[in-house]
Order: sequence, then structure tokens, then C-alpha cells
Amino acid sequence: MPSRRFSRPRAAVVLAAAVALLVSACSPGGGTTTAEPTGEPVSGGTLTYASGDAEPSCLDPHVGGNYPQALIATQYLESLVSLDEDGEVIPWLATEWSESDDGLAWEFSLRDDVTFTDGTPFDAAAVAANIAHVQDPATASSTGYLALAKIVDVVAVDDHTVRLELSAPDSALLESLSQVWVAIQSPTALERSQEENCAAPVGTGPFVVDEWERQDSVTLVRNDDYNSPPADVAAAAEGADLPYLDSIVWRFIPDSASRYAALQSGEVQVIDNAQPDTIRSAASDDAIEELDAPRPGASNRIELNSGKAPFDDERVREAFIRAVDVDAGIDGLFFGTAERSWSPLSSVEPLSLSLPDLFTVDTDAAADLLDEAGWAERDAEGYRVKDGERLSLDFPVSTNQSIPAEQSLFEQIQADAKEAGFEVNLHPLDLSSWYGALAENDYDLVSAPYTKVGPDVLRILYHSDSITPAPSGYFANLAQVDDAMLDDLLTRASATSNPDERRSMYEQAQRIILDGYYILPLYDQQNHFLYSSTVRGLRAMPTVSTPTFAGAWLVS
Amino acid sequence: MPGYRRWLLLRAGGVVFVLWAAATITFFALRLIPGDPAEAILGGPGSQAGPEALAEVRREYGLDQPLAVQYLTYLGRLVRGDLGQSYSLHEPVASAIGEQLGATLTLALCSLVLAWALACALAAWSVRGGRIAWAIGSGLELVAAAVPHFWLATVLILFFSLTLGILPPVSVPGPLGIVLPALTMAIPLAGFLGQVMRESLLTAMESPFVTTARARGESEVRIFWRHTLRHAAIPAVGLSGWAFGSLISGAVVVESVFARQGLGRSLLSAVQLRDVTLVTGIVLVVALAYTVMTLVTDVADRAIDPRVRAVTQ
Repeated sequence: MPSRRFSRPRAAVVLAAAVALLVSACSPGGGTTTAEPTGEPVSGGTLTYASGDAEPSCLDPHVGGNYPQALIATQYLESLVSLDEDGEVIPWLATEWSESDDGLAWEFSLRDDVTFTDGTPFDAAAVAANIAHVQDPATASSTGYLALAKIVDVVAVDDHTVRLELSAPDSALLESLSQVWVAIQSPTALERSQEENCAAPVGTGPFVVDEWERQDSVTLVRNDDYNSPPADVAAAAEGADLPYLDSIVWRFIPDSASRYAALQSGEVQVIDNAQPDTIRSAASDDAIEELDAPRPGASNRIELNSGKAPFDDERVREAFIRAVDVDAGIDGLFFGTAERSWSPLSSVEPLSLSLPDLFTVDTDAAADLLDEAGWAERDAEGYRVKDGERLSLDFPVSTNQSIPAEQSLFEQIQADAKEAGFEVNLHPLDLSSWYGALAENDYDLVSAPYTKVGPDVLRILYHSDSITPAPSGYFANLAQVDDAMLDDLLTRASATSNPDERRSMYEQAQRIILDGYYILPLYDQQNHFLYSSTVRGLRAMPTVSTPTFAGAWLVS
Repeated sequence: MPGYRRWLLLRAGGVVFVLWAAATITFFALRLIPGDPAEAILGGPGSQAGPEALAEVRREYGLDQPLAVQYLTYLGRLVRGDLGQSYSLHEPVASAIGEQLGATLTLALCSLVLAWALACALAAWSVRGGRIAWAIGSGLELVAAAVPHFWLATVLILFFSLTLGILPPVSVPGPLGIVLPALTMAIPLAGFLGQVMRESLLTAMESPFVTTARARGESEVRIFWRHTLRHAAIPAVGLSGWAFGSLISGAVVVESVFARQGLGRSLLSAVQLRDVTLVTGIVLVVALAYTVMTLVTDVADRAIDPRVRAVTQ
């Protein structure tokens, strides 16, 4: 083995080689400067998509139900309704719908000309079978299960009319049904074993799952009989024979540098999970375009655990939030690719409320608040102390969910907080250990993403019911907000169908969450796609911002 | 021959022991880390499981049983050759491994061959180029042995894919796709093998049998390939078994960077998802490959080195 004394010259040689290669790689290459006209759609061709999200363990998003599944399932599954750019619910597999006066029943008229790609007709029985599948404990659905929690019965009124009966009114029902986690699959296919259905779910979408080569790619081929795009796509592509592409190769490339290199070299045409530095360098490349589509639901935020000391004292929470300069961190680390948020909800949620004044950096105010709360002394290292105890905070960070830029942001927050006398202990953890730390209430600060269409996500995240852990120990109300007034608002907001009342109640709810300094909003959940300029017609669904290739084509 | 048979029997017993130890350590190590696999099974990031779903998952995978029962059940299944069901992949562990094993073995073998070729080529060049070439050669080996896979992969992608544009930056079907991944793993290994070879090369070059050969009028090239290299290869061959094991762990990084299929990537995601059955299955396969390779190199040693033959016969 190499001995230590060689380490310095060795490092020098390595460095020299690296610099030489970097310089040669950075020198100007080809690249077109003339922007091509958009032009007429072209049919045919194979597009390669490279995902940096985890490879799904099951291609059926009813099973489990996370974002990687939503990304790919958008290409072959369709939902009863969709959303347009303004967040309005629009027809998809259902053409119209109505809610009963008491809010306990919804009737949907279904398209009668749609067939699943295995030949099974789409009808009321298919909808019933899908809801039963999501609700069946054996399916082990998580996201979809929650979305359909209030449905107690599904009645086929006739072949193409279905009635959903609810246990309580649900103002979020249509938004929930627009999500790909409850998309409609062929009932014939659902009767197969879970293993088979996971490998090749059958839907009505523009593409069909052809082959899944694990840890490499999923091949999707054109659905030649496709006739059921959501209303907005149908209107935009009137008369066109969608989809244009013959096939999509959906690859899994976990390393972000390799993913970008694959895009640059033309090996792939679209990548997701583009990192801030990559997005910036891509901006100067004429051959690469960017699609920014923040995810709906909750913003990315740091939750302050108000369920135990020291954050059970609102003054300490406010002091922490006043002490840290999030803006500077975001500017420096995200290169202008992420915008600051002051809301518990994503900026794409129409009802999101921002209160920036609550988050103004004010170190003097922070110091006063800590003095007031009894953390007046400082120890030899400059940390605040009370009754001989240091003002110490545990911050478990999931390295699977936080990108490097975000982890650096947390480090900057740690440094700011130190000035104010907080000791922040960052604990980088793998996913399971991270869940473990949360389950054991072993955290003071935590950041966890949550994607869901609509403001009802606030009920999942901040209703006191969500403090009660599931049998696994996991709970969604990580800030441990326990406020009777907030509970009442969130419950009533999820039941009312009056849009004005709903808006007002969600606004009040957000005010309580922000005013109480339970959370430190950071920025929207990032969803940046980079794609070759040979790709046209790519868009992100206004539902959960997944890309759709239904109307995409390739120019040669 | 009884000596040889006994030697083989002992070795076989060793293989079984290694496999049992690997299975046991992996099983308990994964269970000791805090966290609930049931939560991870149900989708992990961004999803949230209902109590019924969790209960179902725990029942289905036996996670509600006491640890000792889970362990014994697991060992019992292993003895019957059943590696169990991977809960992160929704398929049997054996078939999951089967799908990925070929890709990793191919990569490891290509890397091993490439590493040997690089090490021999460098030795052949530097041994005949005098003092300076010798110094450069051993310097290159030091650098090569020390570079981390991750860094090397990035540099190779920058150079061969983005600057020269001759090799794909991610794995593609066909022989072209394996070049960069294999090179990434081969370079550090070649440096390591080369360092080991160089020591014995030096000894060999000053040995009486080389002087004899020279005196007989054999050419320097012939002397190098027939005598000194053969001598220098002995310790390196012995190390190839170890190297093979290290190649499989190196595959974790390389397969991820180049988006290649393989066991290394399976292992990484299985650990992250706390998929105990899959992790243990992969560890067992790696342990098996490692012990078998060690056995093979020992046999090869006997073939190359008459002195070893004499001892074990």
C-alpha cells in the first residue's frame, strides 16, 4: 500500500491532471446559436428520459405512492379529472360531475369511448375496482389511500355513471382524484398478482409499459389507440394523432453529474432533478432548455418541534427564526434557481398565503427574546445556557431527500444560529434512520417534503390528529402543532364547498401556523427539468408537476 | 493426495462458515440501526402510510415477529436455498440477484483483465527504460492506486465523453458501454497490482536465474515475459482474489455513476430501503464470489509457483 510520505506529491499530480482535464473540458465547443423555429409537430422517434429520482419498486402508483412513481406513471395512466394552468379542475376520464347538497355523494359521468390498452373497456365498474384496489390493505397504498380516505362506497349508477359516497363532505375530493397516485387502471390487469401488476400496469394513457429492465430502464411504447388526453391537452392538439413519439426509454441515472453529461452528449434528451449549479451552466448552452415546475402541496420548510423544550416556548422559536438569514443562503447556494418562500404552501397553490414580515432577520430581537425566555447566559463557546443546560438543537437531515445545496443551506443556518447562541447539531442520516429519529421524537428541527394537490395538505401536516403516530411511529405533524382553533379551521375547510369560506379558512389556518413560528419556510419543492432543444411540446402536468410526453415530439 | 483432499475439505468448511457469518452479521447489523422498514417499504419520501397498510406490511414480511424468530426463520429458509422475497422490488431475491449478477461479474472480470493488462504493460515499459522510467512507472502506480473511483469516473467522463466525444458517459448496450466503467475500476487496481509486482520484479531481475538466462543469450524481451514477469506475478495473482471482492464493492460507486445495471447498485438501494432480505442475499453472493475467487487463485498459485505445489501436495 502507498505510504503516507508520498501523499503531498501524489496530491499535486492528481490536482495537475484534474486541472488540465477541466480546462480542456471547459474550452468552447460546438453548439448552435440560432434558435430553431417551433414548427409543426413531427411524428415518430424515440426519446430517452433520465430520472435522478429513485427507481420505483413498483410501476403501479397505487402501491406505496411516491414521486418517482408519479413521474413515470403519468406516461401510461390517466385520472378522472385534471387541473388546468390556473388550478381549475377540468374533465379527463370523467366528463362532468356534481356534488349532492349534503356533500356526502358525488356523481361522475364517464367517457364511453375509452378502452384500456389490454382491451378492457373503461366504465363505472373499472372506477369501482380501482378505488377498491387503493383501499385494499393488501395493496399497501399510502398516498392514494389518504386521498380516498373519506370514500365509503362506490355505486355504478349505470355503465358510464359512478357515484362516490363519502363519510364526510370533502372539498379536496376533486383535487385528490386528479393525482396520479389514484389514476385509473384496467380492472382486468389489477386482478393479476401484485408482482405482475407492478411490472406492467395497464392504463389508458398515451404510452404503454413494454419492458422493465431493472436498474436500467423502462421502455414505453406508443398507445396507437390513444384518445383520452385531459381537456386542455385535447383542446391544444385538436385533430392531432397523439402521441407523436413512438417510444420513450425511461432511464435511471442516479448521479447528477453523469445525468447532465448524458444530456450534453446527446445520450438522453430530458433529465429531471437538475441541480442548481447544472441549471446555471445549462443556461449558457443554446442546445439545452429548462422547464421549471415547482411541486404543489407544502413548501420546503424547516419544522420547529413545538412538542418539547426548547421550542415549546414560542419566544425561542421566534428567536431562532429571526436569527437565521435564509435569503442569503438561497441566493448563494441555489444560483437564482430557487425563490424564497414565506408560506407553508407551495407558490403554485392558489390559496397559498405569504407573510414575509414574520421572517425578517433581526438578531437584536432574537437576543432579547432569548434573554426573556431565560436563556440569558452564554457558555465558554458562546452558546446560550439556562440552568446549566446548553441551548442545543438536533436536526436530523435525510441525505436521500436533501440535495447538496440544501444541506449546505442547513449548514449556513447552523452558522447563523450559532451567532445567536443556538447550538444546531446536524445529523445526516439515511432514509430509514431518519424516519427512526422522527419516530422517537429525537429532533428539534426537521425538513420533510410533502406533495399533494390542494391546500388540504395543511390538514395532513398541521392538524393535531397527525401528532398521534401511526403504528410505525411515523406522524406527519412534525412541528407538533396542537391548536384547537387550527384543528377546527382545517376540519371545516376540508368540508365546505363554498369557495370563499374555504379560502378564508385556509388563510386563517396559514396565519396561525406562520404567526406561531412553527415553521421556517424555505422555497418551493424544486422540480427542474433540462431538455435538449430537439424536444418540443414538453410540459409539466398542472396536477403534481410531473412531465408529460403526450404532446411532445422530436425534431431531427 | 490425502493432504490435498483434506486441504480442500477445510477450505469448503471455511466457505460455509464465511457464508453463515456474513448472513448473521448482515441480518443483525441492519436490524440494529434505528428505523422502521415498514415505513420505507410503503414508498419512503413524500408518501405517508396509513396504520392498516403498515400493519399489513409488517404481517406480510414477518416484521411483527420477535427478532430471534425472524433470524431463525431466515436461517431456515437460507439452508433450504430460499433467499426470500425482496420487499423493495416486489420479487424473489434470487431472481433479483440473477437479473443483476451477470452485469456485475462481467464488469468485475473486464476490470480485472484490464487491470492486469495495464499493470503488465506499465511494468514491461518501465523495467526496460532505466532508472527514470522505473521511477515514473512506480510514481504512476502510486497515483493510480490512490485515486478514488468517484473522482476518476468524473475525470474519465469529462475527457472521453465531453471533450473527445468518443465514449458514452453512461452505460449503453454493447461493448462500448463497459469501457469507462471498467477503466474506472481497473486503474486503481492496476496501480495496486503494479506496486506489488514491482517489488518482486526487482528481486527477480537480480536473481541468479535471470543472470543465467542472460548468459544463455536469451533476449531481454523473452527474459521479461518468461522469467521475471512470471516470478513477479505470483504475489499479484494471490491478491486477485481479494481484488475481485474489492471490485464488487467498488461497483457500488461505479454502477451508480455510469447508471449501469448490477449488484452494487442493488446493494446501495437495498441498504437505503432497509430491504434486509435483499441486502443479505447480495452479501452472501459477494461472500461466495470472494471465497471462490480466493480458492481459484490458490489453485492458480499452485500452477504458477512450483514451491506452493510442493507444500500442498
